[in-house]
Amino acid sequence: MIFFILKRLMQIVPVILGVTLVVFLIMQMVPGDSAVILAGEGASKETVEELREDLGLNKPLHEQYFSYIGNIFQGDLGHSLKNNQPVLEEIMIRLPITMELAFFSILITVVLGLIAGIISAVKPYSFSDIGVMLVALLGISLPSFWLGLLLMYIFSIKLQWLPVAGWDSMAHIVLPAITLGAGGAAIVARMTRSSMLEVVGQDYIRTARAKGLKEHVIIYKHALRNALIPVITVVGLQFGGLLGGTVLVESVFAINGLGRMIVDSIRTRDIPMVQGGVLVASLVFVFVNLLVDTLYRVFNKRIDLN
Amino acid sequence: MSNDVVLEVKNLKTHFISSKGIAKAVDGVDFVLRKGETLGIVGESGCGKSMTSLSILRLIPSPPGKIVDGEVLLNGKNLVTMPNAELRKIRGNRISMIFQEPMTSLNPVIPVGEQIAEALRLHQGLSKKAAWAKSVEMIGLVGIPSPEKRAKQEPFQLSGGMRQRVMIAMALACTPEVLIADEPTTALDVTIQAQILEIMKDLQRKIGMGIIFITHDLGVVAEMCDQVAVMYAGQIVEHQNTAELFKNPLHPYTQGLIGSLPKLYEDQDELQIIEGTVPSPYDYPEGCRFAERCPFARSICSEKQPDLIQYDEESKVRCWKYTNEWQVSLTKELVTT
Repeated sequence: MIFFILKRLMQIVPVILGVTLVVFLIMQMVPGDSAVILAGEGASKETVEELREDLGLNKPLHEQYFSYIGNIFQGDLGHSLKNNQPVLEEIMIRLPITMELAFFSILITVVLGLIAGIISAVKPYSFSDIGVMLVALLGISLPSFWLGLLLMYIFSIKLQWLPVAGWDSMAHIVLPAITLGAGGAAIVARMTRSSMLEVVGQDYIRTARAKGLKEHVIIYKHALRNALIPVITVVGLQFGGLLGGTVLVESVFAINGLGRMIVDSIRTRDIPMVQGGVLVASLVFVFVNLLVDTLYRVFNKRIDLN
Repeated sequence: MSNDVVLEVKNLKTHFISSKGIAKAVDGVDFVLRKGETLGIVGESGCGKSMTSLSILRLIPSPPGKIVDGEVLLNGKNLVTMPNAELRKIRGNRISMIFQEPMTSLNPVIPVGEQIAEALRLHQGLSKKAAWAKSVEMIGLVGIPSPEKRAKQEPFQLSGGMRQRVMIAMALACTPEVLIADEPTTALDVTIQAQILEIMKDLQRKIGMGIIFITHDLGVVAEMCDQVAVMYAGQIVEHQNTAELFKNPLHPYTQGLIGSLPKLYEDQDELQIIEGTVPSPYDYPEGCRFAERCPFARSICSEKQPDLIQYDEESKVRCWKYTNEWQVSLTKELVTT
């Protein structure tokens, strides 16, 4: 187990190289010149050239890339082109906000998804099953930015139960977390349902029944643990989508998280900020995947991690 | 004698209702099981023997399955109409089951010791520790070496034979009055099969339970059973004590089954077979269900269904051959020709 975790941690190095290279190249290909944007409208050619010199943007591409990589392994993600702030410092302010949002969203995905899936599976083809699955279908189909605006309209503007935007209290977390978690919850619900239905037909469930166990013990102790194995995979994958989703949701709800930082930085061609943000998001994803794979082993000892 | 009866099944009918129609999987089954006795139920695949056993504890998948008629009496109490909560106190406690497939009948993610212990905690109110200790003891009792270690393992770490022993340990943990064993040795190789049967007999002597032993293997029947009920197309066609059944099979189907066994001391070029196939449970013939395949069939056989009649004190048979009507129909046929 420890060997497995160490092996997986080693994989972070190629991930860093891959992610930075891809982001670096894409940012070079995107039209727009950082120096021009930074210098502002109407700036003279000399000023722009000077700025380019200062930022090292006139060096050959590979040189720029290698010096960047070298700095990363020393813990230096560079400085923002916009305000010369260290990128890492900025990320450390933004990351906890996004992580908090991601945590509550995934919580909604898992809890809501599981409950809905179990309700459906316990009485398949009943009214409750059909109702839950209809809502789940909606959850999958609705784009998150639209759902966010809809929720905002109903709960913040019409009913005035929750704040419209911002990030100060638990009340602020509710709507963005639902917006971000809803799609995942719908997928988890459908996955749990089909997985549970398959497990409930297995011989060992009949054995559990023949033992005289109560129905809820059969469902939660004997069926759910087996049914969860494929669901964990889905939750892990959802987390990747979730990090991407924060970009949209943070913009809709005006939350100063990592996602919004990346969007703003792309707009101003603040390359070090974009690279830093994407890199950190990728690392979070790698860690979450590691966690998921380790959880597998906890739920199903048949899986040999090595 | 009748005081010893632990389980009595009366006119049990389990039907499966689907868009294809009504499949009469179990269609009027009667038998009694006495204390310490082993009753074999034999028959080919699809004859309703497994469905009969599952119906006793109401474990048939429902829908589409439904017990439409009959009684299952455990010491006089009817299980068919009993509320679920009350039935749960009987399942795994007073009546236990062993299933055919040891590979899939144990929960793959729960240690086997816990799978035994949970029934003990539930039915005998044992503490966690006491239940675990009893569970380890049971695993040892069915002949699995180093039971403390094995109890903590999950099914995938055990061989097929060991898993079936665990199933037996689980079924017997609460010392049931009735054990229903549904082809417990079919999936196992012959040497393991012999060991498992020995363990079951041994534990039966100790606990004194009645066993319903479902199988299609006549060799196992001869080894294990005191009484045998032969099932065909959802009904019992013959019920005798084992020695008598092999010596003097009454029903033409049983005669065919025993006749088709290979004989050890005779030269045989070909094995005897029973011609034809089993009728579909969706569409049983009006008369005797075996009539189409029966070498003795006469006109009465395809007209009216025979009852399960008392042949002598200990034997019952469902065949027109042993009735007065048979003689009447024989005479009639002679007169017309």
